[in-house]
Amino acid sequence: MTVVGHIRPAADDAPPRPERAALRWRALGLAITLLLWTVVLVLCLVPLALVLVISVGQKVEGAGWEWGFTAENYIRFLVGAQWPAETTFLYLTQLYWSMRYAVVASVIAVVTALPFTYLMTRQSRRAQALWLVFLLATLSLSEVFIVMGWDIILSNNSGLPMLFAASGLTDWLKATGWFDVLRDWGLANPRNVKFKTSEFATVLTMSYLVWPYAVILLYPALSRLDPSLAEAARTMGARPWTVARTVILPAVRLPLLGAVLLLFVFLLGGYVAVTVFADPAKHTTAVSVYEHVRGSTLNAPFGAAQSVILLVTAAVFLVIGHRLSRTSRGGG
Amino acid sequence: MLRRLGQLYMSLAAVVVALPVVIVCSAALNGGRTMYFPPENPTLDRFGEFFVSEPVWTQALGNSVIVALGAATLAVLLAWPIAYALWKTGARQSAMLAALGSIPFALPPIVFGVGLGFFWAFLGGLGSIWAGIVSHAVLFLALPLVTISIGLQAIDRAHLDAAATMGATEALTFRTIVLPQTLPYTISGFFFALVLSFNEFIVMFFVSASAFATVTLQIFNSLRNGYTPTMAVAAVAFIAVSVVVFSAVARWGDLPRLMGADQSRS
Repeated sequence: MTVVGHIRPAADDAPPRPERAALRWRALGLAITLLLWTVVLVLCLVPLALVLVISVGQKVEGAGWEWGFTAENYIRFLVGAQWPAETTFLYLTQLYWSMRYAVVASVIAVVTALPFTYLMTRQSRRAQALWLVFLLATLSLSEVFIVMGWDIILSNNSGLPMLFAASGLTDWLKATGWFDVLRDWGLANPRNVKFKTSEFATVLTMSYLVWPYAVILLYPALSRLDPSLAEAARTMGARPWTVARTVILPAVRLPLLGAVLLLFVFLLGGYVAVTVFADPAKHTTAVSVYEHVRGSTLNAPFGAAQSVILLVTAAVFLVIGHRLSRTSRGGG
Repeated sequence: MLRRLGQLYMSLAAVVVALPVVIVCSAALNGGRTMYFPPENPTLDRFGEFFVSEPVWTQALGNSVIVALGAATLAVLLAWPIAYALWKTGARQSAMLAALGSIPFALPPIVFGVGLGFFWAFLGGLGSIWAGIVSHAVLFLALPLVTISIGLQAIDRAHLDAAATMGATEALTFRTIVLPQTLPYTISGFFFALVLSFNEFIVMFFVSASAFATVTLQIFNSLRNGYTPTMAVAAVAFIAVSVVVFSAVARWGDLPRLMGADQSRS
């Protein structure tokens, strides 16, 4: 049959030109589809699968790690390596700090970004574009630059503490007794105020880091808000605060929750700000992941296990958020 | 009264957002080796060091540029067919592909970074610059995917119907209608990926395995030895690139629309 096919004159069985072109298009489309699936599956999912698989592997002393199937790394995360002889909650404490920084920073960012974004959407299209350029430029700025900037502002021999001392603000604080309060909060040493290391500086930098994201996440919802609703409420005599509470807030409740959740997931893996500004006793899981995968205590399986736990934490919060949004949608 | 309060709040926010950036930028003018604010002996020498004379920084800058350009190009090339198929057919498998491609961007970056570190260690690409390019392309695939999809949805269906009634083939329609109308969105997606790749740190940290350094990596490495004004120059350069790129997007693309603004008002 094939031989016959070869000697058959081409003009006979060649389909009309357009059909042949369509066929070629379809083949090309199929090839591209296959290629895309391969690339996306391999590059997006295989790395994650590897993290999962290696997290149940075993560390080999001085030689990296080997495949295995053990819960050892997870047990170590929960109760420490010496368990059951000895129990430590070191790694759980780190996870607690991860969540605490991320929750506080993302809530602060979203709450302060909300009025800003609302006011921004009431401006002209041109002004909005200008603000967006400004925000996107700071948003894309690398974490290392932002930490560097805040570090200069907050470090003890330059920036704010020096400004406090020079302007006499430190003396005023001492005279009024606020200085002792700041010392209780860990924001002052015996001589002057200090912000490094402190939880305040960590959270400040982290919320700064995600603040432009918060604006951009709230922007679509707020810009679609019908201004006539607020106007109608106002003409009927509602005070501005009442308008905000009864018209604007209910309309953006779900985007608000969504923004907090997304920023939380992003900050959960925050690394540079924590290493620079947080007290070593209050370091996070992300720092520990780094230490175990690339740092001094090489133990890739344990680092992988901690990454999985970060992922699970993020997923749990997302599921809770989803539930919340569904019930609130049902109730409202 | 309330209007004043609003303006005050917006200006305050602008000042706080600009504050660390301004401080880093002005620190770049320091004459000595230490970062002071305000700068001492203001000079532009540090710019020469960063862009021309210090090999550590010029190499890092070169790597950053190669990675960012390569990753953004690759991301756009991957995103185009995915977005096009999704728009054209709306099939469930296309939607799934798009969702899969957006996963890396939605994860905490450190987790994907660790995974990619393992991945390239297996393939033997760990520490090579092309592994860095591919990694960033995948990480930022979601950005051109979103902008191109927005662009495709913005195409007027009437144009497509007209083309179809006049007997244009899919290829011809694609070339004469789809491609030109989505070009601004494609370029926006390219630039978003470019700028974010330029500034990305943690994923590149795991993928590079210290075999090469981009500017952000180099800065992080030097962080332990204290800051130098040359590092601040890097910050200035990066901010300048971001501002130029996003201004271009705002000028030739529709930035409020890309960010999801309502179309009915202007």
